[in-house]
Amino acid sequence: MSVQDILDAESELTHLLGAQQAVVLSTRIRLARNLDGMPFPGWAKVPQRKEISERCVDALTELPKFRRGHVLRMTELQDRERAVLVERHLVSKELASGKTGAAVISRDQTVSVMINEEDHLRIQVVKAGWHLRGTWHIAEQLDDDLGARLKMAFSERLGYLTACPTNVGTGLRASAMVHLPGLCLAGHMDKVSRALNQDGLAVRGWLGEGTEAAGNIFQISNQQTLGLSEDAILKHLGGWIKNVVEQEWNARRKLAKDEGERFSDRLARSYGILRHARLLTSAESMNMLSHLRLACDMGCLPEGHRHIVDRLMIEGQPAHVQARAGEELDSDGRDRRRAAVVREALRDFPEVTAPTA
Amino acid sequence: MSQPLKCSLCEEAATVHLSQVVHGKVTKVHLCEACAQKGGATDPAVFQLADALTSSVMAAPAITCPKCGFTDIDFRKRGRLGCPSCWEVFGEVLGGLLTKVQHEPEHVGRAPAGILPAGQLRRRLEAARREMERAVTSEDFEVAARLRDEISTLEQQLTPS
Repeated sequence: MSVQDILDAESELTHLLGAQQAVVLSTRIRLARNLDGMPFPGWAKVPQRKEISERCVDALTELPKFRRGHVLRMTELQDRERAVLVERHLVSKELASGKTGAAVISRDQTVSVMINEEDHLRIQVVKAGWHLRGTWHIAEQLDDDLGARLKMAFSERLGYLTACPTNVGTGLRASAMVHLPGLCLAGHMDKVSRALNQDGLAVRGWLGEGTEAAGNIFQISNQQTLGLSEDAILKHLGGWIKNVVEQEWNARRKLAKDEGERFSDRLARSYGILRHARLLTSAESMNMLSHLRLACDMGCLPEGHRHIVDRLMIEGQPAHVQARAGEELDSDGRDRRRAAVVREALRDFPEVTAPTA
Repeated sequence: MSQPLKCSLCEEAATVHLSQVVHGKVTKVHLCEACAQKGGATDPAVFQLADALTSSVMAAPAITCPKCGFTDIDFRKRGRLGCPSCWEVFGEVLGGLLTKVQHEPEHVGRAPAGILPAGQLRRRLEAARREMERAVTSEDFEVAARLRDEISTLEQQLTPS
């Protein structure tokens, strides 16, 4: 099993037809766990990290969830393969740049467990669309299954012990990846961000911590992990996401009403560029694809085409374009190749019409 | 020319200076390029963590974890602990930090199977006893009966078998 298999497989986020929703692209649950009595990865010596890695890989590969899945050791991968995993959100930049990290990934790519990142284990579950409880239940089940095989570092008073004080307790980070072109176009995003920050939620860019919000896509997650039950954390995030989705729809409808023909004109122009450009940078394609996704949500394009847009957002990222090409590409070469992939995918798209939503 | 400011998280020269005003209280954080990038300069956790680190840990005396050799100086540099035992060793320092960055300083969530979250059970037991007294005083016997059942279940769970 290799990174190429991951690229070639039909994954939940790239191909699952009908799972895509307007506004919320995906729901993610992350649990941080550590083995009892072992130093955390950042402080452990190389032989200890190897031991941790082997124990975790052994326990994980016994689980039915990872049958016919992938076990990827970062040292055995090329730079560009690691970059593909980062772009897919299957591993973090931190894991990809380290030397003793590994990832165990389920066949359908909905579950990936990072080993020896900041903590010994980072269990991640992702589902297309907004499915907070369903995603949580998968993570909870995995946590139980792993807990039956590995003794986890746990304190009665502090809960699950983690390397960083910002993760201790539940070790739970729940997040939604949201597409907010309406709030961005209306200039309300700073205000929304501040409101979320003040109520204990973090707003980050497309690739997580410290990244920019390409394509009007933001990741919203809980900040606090201690002193709140998992249920309370999920309810808090869920309430806010519902609120943000409503505000996004209000902003979209207001824009469509106020701008009239200019609204669909803007989306049609982006479509025109994507449909005909010969060179497309990653940033430009993300921003144009954001308009295309908005067009699908608003009924300017058929809703059934939304999954194609989502797939292009993932596959248009630099390492994906490079990996698909099969030959070493320079920056222009990637832009040329990206434009070709987008043109091909949009070949059967109809014209952009006035909004119906 | 004054001394260049140092990054609140590591020892590098700070080039990013942030101020945040929450409920009228001004917090200033100075970060180097790398830490600002890593933490995401707009992330409120950066403020909380840097604030807590600089105020509580710098004043603390040198402590070393007997299990893994990690010291409070290492913690100040990295913002991460060495091993699970460090949580006991650095308890006092971390207690102050946790009240700043977390909701409450005590865990109320899941526990591994087989480990009774005894702290939670005890807290619930105390609360149930108080609630029952109140229910009895106000002659709400239906509620009192329900609480009596809960108390006896909790007491059983807390007795080692």
